[in-house]
Amino acid sequence: MSHFSPAACVDYFFNYFLMKGVLVTIGLTAAGVVGGLILGMGIALMRMSPNSVVSGVARFYIWFFRGTPLLIQLVVIYSGLPQLGIKFDVITCALVGLILNEAAYLAEIVRSGFMAVSPGQREAAWALSLPRSVTFRRITLPQAFRLMIPPLGNSINSLLKATSLASVISVEEIMRRSDMLMQEHFQILEVYAAATAYYLILTSVWDAVQRRLEKHFSRSTTTKSPRAVAKARTPQTGLEARA
Amino acid sequence: MAIDIDREAGQPRMREVPAVRMEAVYKYYGEFTALNEIDLKVARGERIVVCGPSGSGKSTLIRCINHIEKHDQGLIYVNGTELDHQRKNIDAIRRDTGMVFQSFNLFPHMTTLDNCILAPMTVNGMTKAEAKDLAMHFLTKVRIPDQAEKFPGQLSGGQQQRVAIARALCLRPKIMLFDEPTSALDPEMVKEVLETMKKLAEEGMTMLCVTHEMGFAREVADRIVFMNEGKIVEQAAPEDFFNHPRSERARAFLDQIIH
Repeated sequence: MSHFSPAACVDYFFNYFLMKGVLVTIGLTAAGVVGGLILGMGIALMRMSPNSVVSGVARFYIWFFRGTPLLIQLVVIYSGLPQLGIKFDVITCALVGLILNEAAYLAEIVRSGFMAVSPGQREAAWALSLPRSVTFRRITLPQAFRLMIPPLGNSINSLLKATSLASVISVEEIMRRSDMLMQEHFQILEVYAAATAYYLILTSVWDAVQRRLEKHFSRSTTTKSPRAVAKARTPQTGLEARA
Repeated sequence: MAIDIDREAGQPRMREVPAVRMEAVYKYYGEFTALNEIDLKVARGERIVVCGPSGSGKSTLIRCINHIEKHDQGLIYVNGTELDHQRKNIDAIRRDTGMVFQSFNLFPHMTTLDNCILAPMTVNGMTKAEAKDLAMHFLTKVRIPDQAEKFPGQLSGGQQQRVAIARALCLRPKIMLFDEPTSALDPEMVKEVLETMKKLAEEGMTMLCVTHEMGFAREVADRIVFMNEGKIVEQAAPEDFFNHPRSERARAFLDQIIH
């Protein structure tokens, strides 16, 4: 006997209570990315430092946060730290956990991006006697950033789904609110079908954004196609030649 | 407009200062001695071709002149400024020297024009308009003004290397260093780059050039510096070097490369 009700799925999908949970998921993800990138950039720079103490601290940080489950990190921050007198509200706990965890992954992505920039680029900047700050801002960073986008996008996709773990510490995002709705009428499949649809929509939207970012930032380097080279060899007049 | 190498015309005494002077320069990579007691003097306006087998230290030699590589011992003076690992002196020397790399090393995320104007604007404090004028002047000189708005990836190898030459010239260097500028090029693009270099030589630019292009060396160089195992083995005018190499090593080298 089947109890599955497609109509209930649609109802849950347009449920205002669940929609507010979607906004919380988006907010957690966005804050996790921004906070994680800022912290991760710092950790990456420390990791690349010639000072072995500084790079050692960064190495330990990355080892620790990548080596333990986010779920345990969240629970420790929410339930464990109050034992030491450190107490935050739920959302702050979730943000701290997500940012600390995400930063460890992003630090490695940032570092690999910088390491993948050809040493010749730095040499050319030196030869032109460009100041260090200009070399970083105008030469190394933009090229490293471009190389970071694909793994960064992947990591953000993971983070988006990892925010569901915050439901365990009672943050009312998609997962938590689905649980709450489920407990009202026990329409388990219907509720989670709606939640699944929301996650798929969010990850798909992010995929599209990522593709556009990649396209935007690669416009100048992925021009090795024969057509572009042929065009380059054709004499052009004026400045309309930008492809 | 001729390339501005006569900035000190009003100060005749300055002319006696060699463009480059190296005294007992050593460079090590771990146990390996990359440069072994290098003594070299390059006069202003002189055109030097550095040649020798691979791994002989040619590239290291010219990369030490603008401190892309740090020498470990000995003295290097560029236009009278000592290269003593002090930031201030390194920057001064780098402003006076332009470098062209085997792999072009253009900034791939910037247009040709932006590649050329970055250093004049940030290093020499030019306005964008001034820097653009200057860049267009040198892009015209290397005969690619029409590629100014293209990205490096859209250009052929020969075009990219000519942009790299223009970019270096935009700082109005007194010395140009070429590190195997044609080695990464398709054969049919070598000529356009060599022509550009010849033009530069004719205008009196001081040049140090690591190259395997012996035709270019014969035609353009005032002096050939032959290196082997980190040492300068032989220095001579091209005619003497090619017709009567003094060292056994140079003879063997020439036998290998001249067909």
